Amino acid sequence: MTGPTDTLALRDLTKIFRIKTGTFRHADLRAVDDVSVSITPGRTLAVVGESGSGKTTLARLILRLIDPTQGSIRLEGTDITQMKGAALEDMRGRMQIVFQDPYDSLSPWQTVGRTVAEPLLLHENMSRQDATGPVAAMLERVGLSPEHARRYPHELSGGQAQRVGIARAMITNPALVVLDEPTSSLDMSVQSQILLLLQSLQEERNISYLFISHDLTVVRYIAHDLAVMYLGKVVESGPAAEVFASPRHPYTEALLKAAPRPDPHYKTDHVHLLGEQPSALDRAPGCPLFGRCPIAEDVCADMPQELVEIEAGHRVACWKRT
Amino acid sequence: MSALLELHGLEVEIEGLPILRGVDLEVRPGEILGVVGETGAGKSMTARSILDLLPAKARLSFDTCTFGGEDFIPARARQLARGHRIGFVPQRPRGSLNPVFRVGKQIVDTLRRLRGMTRKEAKDEALSLLRSVRITDPERVYRSYPHELSGGMCQRVCIAIALAGEPELIIADEPTTGLDVTIQAEILKLLGEVIAEHNAAGMLITHDLGVVADVCDRVAVMYAGRVINLGTTVEIYREALHPYANQLVSIASSLDSGGTPQEIPGRVPNPGDDLAACAFAPRCFRAEDDCFQEEPPLVHIEGQMAFCHHPLTSEVVSA
Ligand SMILES: Nc1ncnc2c1ncn2[C@@H]1O[C@H](COP(=O)(O)OP(=O)(O)OP(=O)(O)O)[C@@H](O)[C@H]1O
Ligand SMILES: Nc1ncnc2c1ncn2[C@@H]1O[C@H](COP(=O)(O)OP(=O)(O)OP(=O)(O)O)[C@@H](O)[C@H]1O
Ligand code: SF4
Ligand code: SF4
Ligand SMILES: [Mg+2]
Ligand SMILES: [Mg+2]
Repeated sequence: MTGPTDTLALRDLTKIFRIKTGTFRHADLRAVDDVSVSITPGRTLAVVGESGSGKTTLARLILRLIDPTQGSIRLEGTDITQMKGAALEDMRGRMQIVFQDPYDSLSPWQTVGRTVAEPLLLHENMSRQDATGPVAAMLERVGLSPEHARRYPHELSGGQAQRVGIARAMITNPALVVLDEPTSSLDMSVQSQILLLLQSLQEERNISYLFISHDLTVVRYIAHDLAVMYLGKVVESGPAAEVFASPRHPYTEALLKAAPRPDPHYKTDHVHLLGEQPSALDRAPGCPLFGRCPIAEDVCADMPQELVEIEAGHRVACWKRT
Repeated sequence: MSALLELHGLEVEIEGLPILRGVDLEVRPGEILGVVGETGAGKSMTARSILDLLPAKARLSFDTCTFGGEDFIPARARQLARGHRIGFVPQRPRGSLNPVFRVGKQIVDTLRRLRGMTRKEAKDEALSLLRSVRITDPERVYRSYPHELSGGMCQRVCIAIALAGEPELIIADEPTTGLDVTIQAEILKLLGEVIAEHNAAGMLITHDLGVVADVCDRVAVMYAGRVINLGTTVEIYREALHPYANQLVSIASSLDSGGTPQEIPGRVPNPGDDLAACAFAPRCFRAEDDCFQEEPPLVHIEGQMAFCHHPLTSEVVSA
């Protein structure tokens, strides 16, 4: 499943948040639960799934913004799980992130120019003077004008802010870029531009992307591989085209059916999962979809579901579908 | 049918830069109006004008502006919003929640202010609102700070707050962008139900043309600070009169049916740029000389109106 040439390889990665449920009571929230995935150079792994299923937490773990509870993270063959201090700072030039909320990448007190230049100043010891040229070129590349370099984040529209975030992430030529909902705040035309830009940068520099998105149309277009998450777990993964063509996990099926289409005569299938979502706290050991799954049987409640390969690279965590 | 909200000639200027250049739109009772258009076109600014949430340095003017048949002054509209006639879901959910208070308290405070509930009543109602926006573990989320929640969870908390006052108009700025499509479908269904139940109305700002097709009765398309095309969803998707709107829809349809992403060539104008008489002219595949020199006329046809010299139709009736 993982090889020495992987840009990113996660093994059994887990993040547990300790949640206060009362004055003296706590519960465990397994935000990311035993996730093992890898990405080879020049490829895009898209991560889709339920809101709150752990996608952003996964991104933050990979970027070493928070510490994992268990498991390991390898970037270009180096184990960075425990890396600290200067070594980690150097590594940060190799992996960058574009956040879900574009303003999260931007400091309200810094001009756009300074924000985009920062990774060069921090990780590549470039002087501000020397950074001006590359910054202007990068801004142009993402569809902004050099004039934007003097603006502050609050003077940008949501979409303009996202383009600044992408410029900042790309400027150090990283091996891995994690994109957390990078296009959801952009109009269709700019979204297309960004997708084409991401693709051409990928081809040119052999970058790997971890692409988190709720927009299945975009994912279908950009992803080579796909991982579907539900309550912290990867419930299905494989080559994107294959998973879209023949989804096997009941959650994946529901997800694909619920996607709206730009056609007023198309009726989105709103009938999908049953009932209420189960609590994310102190979960039973069984399948996370139990209780909402239309084909569940009693045994699903207690039987842990592991990913099982059903076809080359296509894995699913549902005993009824393997 | 008389409009619930009606705006004409809404203009906003920030430090001398024209941000909105005469926005006209109306929202009718019982309908959901979709607002789409270019990034930076002024969708959020339009919403913020109505809600009196513009930046301090913004200058606002308008020709007419009515809500529920009465004149109202957008610059003093905060009473309306706070007086629970307009509910607002802002574009940046996490940024608009107060980071130092638990989200439960934020919903409870809104309920107590708007509906005069006791603390106990407000807590029960807050939990049921959280449940209605499909929050897992309402008890946990109630006790959480915004940074302990996912993006989509914050978004749903904001929707719960917007619904808390049982408003007549819900203005939602990208309310479902952070949600997976199964939850999105349920939230949109909920919005539709709330609107139908109270004969309220909705204004839904989004880039997702799938969402618009799913729930909006009419669509307003904005470009460079103006509504340049407005019509029923069915007509706009069938054949939008305005070339920009038309291309926007076809880009979405083509990507949806497996095509490659397409862009509209040329650069999005920024406020303060020198604009041609039609702001879209430098990028428009139908542009002719008149487009650069004369203000485009307002044309009406079959459930649509557009500002354009050469709309995409044969039989044009001039207004
Ligand atoms: N700092 C934290 N403390 C406690 N719980 C947290 C924290 N950060 C995240 N969580 C919880 O972890 C779970 C996963 O959150 P995460 O943000 O990773 O979801 P997501 O898949 O990115 O969702 P979305 O699609 O809505 O952005 C959620 O239940 C969230 O409340
Ligand atoms: N505080 C501000 N000061 C100056 N200009 C601003 C300010 N806020 C927004 N703008 C500008 O006003 C214009 C309209 O912004 P607005 O946020 O309404 O766009 P939008 O249509 O909502 O775009 P998006 O789809 O990206 O959210 C943009 O060009 C933006 O750069
Ligand atoms: S293991 Fe059981 S509950 Fe889980 S997805 Fe399969 S059938 Fe449904
Ligand atoms: S007025 Fe002319 S330039 Fe403007 S949209 Fe119509 S055809 Fe194109
Ligand atoms: Mg997230
Ligand atoms: Mg906006």
